[in-house]
Amino acid sequence: MAHYMVVLLDDKRLNALKGTGVEEKIVDLFGGALKAINIEVPEEAEKNIMAAFTSARIDSRGAITDVPVAFNRVLFEEIAKQKSIGPEVWNGVLARVDEIKEAAAKESEYLPSPDIDISDIEELQKEPHQKP
Amino acid sequence: MSGLLIERPLPHGGRLVERVVRDPELGKKMAKTCQAVYDIKPTLHYETGVPVRNVYREIMSICYGFFSPVEGSMKKAELERVLKERRLLNEWVFPYPMLFDISEEDYKQLGVTVGDRVLLRLKGEPFAILDVEEVYRIDPEEVATRTFGTPEDNPEVVREPFDKKHPGWVIYRSMNPVILAGKYTIINEPKLRPPFDRFWYPPRKSREEYEKRGWRTVINHQTRNVPHVGHEMLMKCAAYTGDVEPCHGIQVNAIIGVKRRGDYPDEAIVEGHEMVHLAGYIKPERHLVTICLWDMRYGNPLESMLHGIIRQNMGCTHHMFGRDHAAVGEYYDMYATQILWGKGIPSFGFPKPLNEVPYGLQIKPQNMAEFWYCPHCGEIAYSGCCNHTKEKQKFSGSFVRGMVAEGVFPPKVIFRPEVYKVIVKWWKKFGYPFCNEKYVREKEETLEVDLPHMEV
Repeated sequence: MAHYMVVLLDDKRLNALKGTGVEEKIVDLFGGALKAINIEVPEEAEKNIMAAFTSARIDSRGAITDVPVAFNRVLFEEIAKQKSIGPEVWNGVLARVDEIKEAAAKESEYLPSPDIDISDIEELQKEPHQKP
Repeated sequence: MSGLLIERPLPHGGRLVERVVRDPELGKKMAKTCQAVYDIKPTLHYETGVPVRNVYREIMSICYGFFSPVEGSMKKAELERVLKERRLLNEWVFPYPMLFDISEEDYKQLGVTVGDRVLLRLKGEPFAILDVEEVYRIDPEEVATRTFGTPEDNPEVVREPFDKKHPGWVIYRSMNPVILAGKYTIINEPKLRPPFDRFWYPPRKSREEYEKRGWRTVINHQTRNVPHVGHEMLMKCAAYTGDVEPCHGIQVNAIIGVKRRGDYPDEAIVEGHEMVHLAGYIKPERHLVTICLWDMRYGNPLESMLHGIIRQNMGCTHHMFGRDHAAVGEYYDMYATQILWGKGIPSFGFPKPLNEVPYGLQIKPQNMAEFWYCPHCGEIAYSGCCNHTKEKQKFSGSFVRGMVAEGVFPPKVIFRPEVYKVIVKWWKKFGYPFCNEKYVREKEETLEVDLPHMEV
């Protein structure tokens, strides 16, 4: 059974794919709340990915997950550059393994947190129901 | 009707173990009777040197009664019985070896023999005493493999040989060869550090809390994760079990201990669960978040047995179990826990379910199947009901983690926004959304407790 990877698409990524033809492959997840592309991973590419990134695993859906964030970024970049989700994308990704590993080494220590307002939950936490 | 009502179960073994001295003067007196002093240190991975366990958590859970009727580090005969039959010498079922291990070098330096008493220090302060009843040696690799079983010996549920990729196997493999067996007594009561302090309900306290809340029936949700909406639905649906009415209470009991890379930090886990009731998704009157200190062994059916013991001791009447309970990898059948509780696993010493064997458990299992998002139903659906199996979108923990790591604000059907913001709160603090080596090392230095100063 061929495995696949899920590439999530935020607004910026959706814009980058406009007019590429890849748009037709975009799927809705969770009732349209998320947009994504499911890209099949050829067997040889999968072997190389699992060997290069030891955290990677196949989840219950048959998707390859737990790859570094940098991997997903490069994967999207190659999809947008090649305007495709075919096997040529994987050639591009695997050619950049060293670059991904270098970025991944840094990201395992630090990832910038999203710049969102969390004051509402901090307010709720001021009155916990359970007290020490 | 009274015949239909489920009563609060007795603790496993018939009574709660409580080996905590709360009088500091008595604690000091007992400390002074010790022949030797030992500073507790973490168990380090036998190859990488990364902390994998700290025995202090077992001492806490034993002395506060979570692991009743166990009272200390097991003698050799008891270790053998547990490994062979998953029973203590007093017959009560128990899944795992509980051992106080030290190196040959430390043992030589301590100079203790049977009958001696060792003062165990934690973070430089007196913490507990160990009354040495026996000293023996183990082969850690042998104990590790026998603890979890093999495909040959346990064909009903073990699918792959255990090895160093299994974190529970690694914990036992990384232990020292010398075992000091005997009872523990905490003589200097630790203080739980925030945020864990408000979730600390040892069995005596949890039982009192249920009485206060009027909870006759309580179903437990085991967790080592920040709750997504699938978890929340699991809790809500499982709580419909009860007897003549749904369970009065939903208890979340989070296992707090050494984490793996990629797990959420413990702080985010407990506050994430708390946020479910703070934000009103489950009424706070019906929901209680608690913790138990334990470095998980990820032993699927064996772990579920320990979970049943802990939560029965806490006073729960029911325990929900899902697929791949407390599992990692594919060492066990994904339904091994449900097999144990539904049919039994003869090769582990259980020809019948755990509720039906002598000296077994009274807490009742609730074996749940899966939840998924169904775009056709337009909601989170239970696999036992939803027939849109071709359209289902599963909750994959690793997919959710990937989404979080990429900084994508998860949709409401995956994470309640308030719960997600708890993840971000601790992400800002630690600089990373999940456990990494830095978090693990720092956590194993600060631990979850502080010890009052005790001059001895």
